[in-house]
Amino acid sequence: MKIESLDPRIQRLGLTESEPDAVVLTQEDNFITYEVFHQKKKGSQHIHVGIVHAPNDEMAMLAAKETFGRRGATTSLWIVKSANVVATAAEDEDIFESTPDKLHREAGIYKTREKIEAYQKNNPA
Amino acid sequence: MYGGGFIDEKTRKEAELMQDDPIELAKFEARIAAGEKIEPNDWMPKAYRSQLIRMIEQHAHSEIIGALPEGTWITRAPGFKRKMALMAKVQDEIGHAQLLYSAAETLGKSREDMLNDLMTGKSKYSNVFNYPAETWADVTVIGFLIDAAAIVNQVLNSKGSYGPYCRALERICYEEAFHLKQGHDAFVALATGSTMQRQMAQDALIRWWEPIMHFFGPSDKMSVHGERLMRWKVKMASNDDMRQQFLNTYVPKIWELGLTLPDPNLKRNESTKLWEFTEPNWDTFFKVINGDGPCNKERLAVRKWAETQGAWVRKALFNPKDSYVTPFA
Amino acid sequence: MVINNKEALVDLLLKIADDEFIIGHRISEWIGIGPTLEEDITFGSIAQDKVGHSQNMYELVAELTNTSPDTLAFKRPSSEFKSCELVVLPNAGYDKALVRHFLFDHAEFIRFELLMNSSYEKLSHLAKKFRSEIKYHIYHGNTWMKQLSSANEESKGKIQTQINELYPLTLGIFEKTPLESEIISSGYFAGEDELKSRYFAHVNELLTSYGLTYPSIDTNMEVNAGRNGIISAHLTPLISEMREVFDLESGVDW
Repeated sequence: MKIESLDPRIQRLGLTESEPDAVVLTQEDNFITYEVFHQKKKGSQHIHVGIVHAPNDEMAMLAAKETFGRRGATTSLWIVKSANVVATAAEDEDIFESTPDKLHREAGIYKTREKIEAYQKNNPA
Repeated sequence: MYGGGFIDEKTRKEAELMQDDPIELAKFEARIAAGEKIEPNDWMPKAYRSQLIRMIEQHAHSEIIGALPEGTWITRAPGFKRKMALMAKVQDEIGHAQLLYSAAETLGKSREDMLNDLMTGKSKYSNVFNYPAETWADVTVIGFLIDAAAIVNQVLNSKGSYGPYCRALERICYEEAFHLKQGHDAFVALATGSTMQRQMAQDALIRWWEPIMHFFGPSDKMSVHGERLMRWKVKMASNDDMRQQFLNTYVPKIWELGLTLPDPNLKRNESTKLWEFTEPNWDTFFKVINGDGPCNKERLAVRKWAETQGAWVRKALFNPKDSYVTPFA
Repeated sequence: MVINNKEALVDLLLKIADDEFIIGHRISEWIGIGPTLEEDITFGSIAQDKVGHSQNMYELVAELTNTSPDTLAFKRPSSEFKSCELVVLPNAGYDKALVRHFLFDHAEFIRFELLMNSSYEKLSHLAKKFRSEIKYHIYHGNTWMKQLSSANEESKGKIQTQINELYPLTLGIFEKTPLESEIISSGYFAGEDELKSRYFAHVNELLTSYGLTYPSIDTNMEVNAGRNGIISAHLTPLISEMREVFDLESGVDW
């Protein structure tokens, strides 16, 4: 059964109806993923913005530019195969839990002004 | 663009039956209540995973199919400004599909499996794209009102609980601002133009009003199921609330142009502040979403053509030595 | 700025603008139906760049002839277009799309490199601006050509078939108009012969490096295929489709 389309470029394709499973994609139709890191301007960090599917580095870089750099400013892009990213294991996320409590590394715990004021109060000039 | 969040009954029932470890579930729900985001490697209820996959996947399908109604007029856009804007806009739909398939992938379903489910009809996409863009004015109505409806949905969902989906939606929402603006501008150009242009806009509006009213789906009485999805911040607002938000913002923008909508009951109740309207025909909605709409066959045939004609390209470049890993952000 | 020979300048600008406009239009036909999502997005950007370049070029013509880019692109009859045959060929498979893009864009890159020295400052300025965009287009075309011609028998065969068919049509890019010598003497452009010799030297080397052959053609042969009133059979249907909405009513804003 021929498909009639209002889109002239689709009409030109001469499409016909087909069975639901006429086209079946496999893993070979899908490339590996690369993580993309984007730098907006010199001096800024590269920020992780997402992934592209690509068969190799060159194709990944081509894709990254337009997938993540077609708007706004870009000074640099990095691509890294997802398989090469080493991430914290989910079960090890607890190693970070108590870090915010390590106040000995923070400036805010020092109450120096209070000491000075107490001294001045007891030792008026 | 997107809309609907249509989850079929079978998926809904399956999700309800999924059992989880009650201790983990309690911890999970406490995290969500505290406003924390869930990332791909976090513990999550089975139903959370399955519902999110289905929802994000269908959103992605809506984008890839959504490119086709407006794509109808890409070769015929009148003038440079509209030609450039329409190319960029339709390109963005494919870009959004890319972002959303990528977000869904983090939950463990592959891109090829999702595309297969689209092509067989197992997974749905927003019903509104099963209708034809008959004239240039249709393109402007889609760009204005359907993108507007999608934005209501997307802005709400971008505050949801699943990290990768939120991040994709933030990017999408930014680009949608351009879509809405160029759509509204093109629509206003017609509505404030010649008699012929204004009539074309008015006709398109009348033709698209029912699909637009179908966009947010039927009224959802708060079931246990729906309440759980809200608690998990998978569903961020009821269909009714989203529809109200849309009507409240955009009906005045249509009326300020002196155009009419084909619903004599459409008005804002000044005491309840809620919009009243003729309930759209939900039988039509279900008929179309289940395959019997004007363009369903065409939309899927185009998708199948694209996949088929690109097969030699993909097979040529595929490297069997590289193994795929599920992305984790 | 004093323009020595407005007619020659307009002649040059129009043929470049028409080529960009038509190839941009053809590439845009792939938006939404590309072989992968990522490549769909990428090729879509190339389409927009081309149409954008044509708009800038038409603007230069519009200034000189007191009209507008929309009028030049959407109101001229197809018989007045100066585009070459290669850019207007209808789309078929992605192999054709890629090979056409590869073959045309190398000519465009060299053309704009030469135009950076144009005596018409606005043109040399545009040429500098476009060059960085076309650099990416070249990178795209080269990468696809290189990878597909070395991937497997099927992909190499498809690319070679398209080269055999489209390579001879590249001669049309260098088709001269009657004002060619005035274009050169006014310093607007170094000329089609200069462009042509650089083009074939570069493209032939690239094709060979990809393991591809190219048809043996007489590159000195003058062709009459688009720039001098003999237009392609494909052009009129393209133009009338493109103008379908624009022509619904004149004197209105869209």
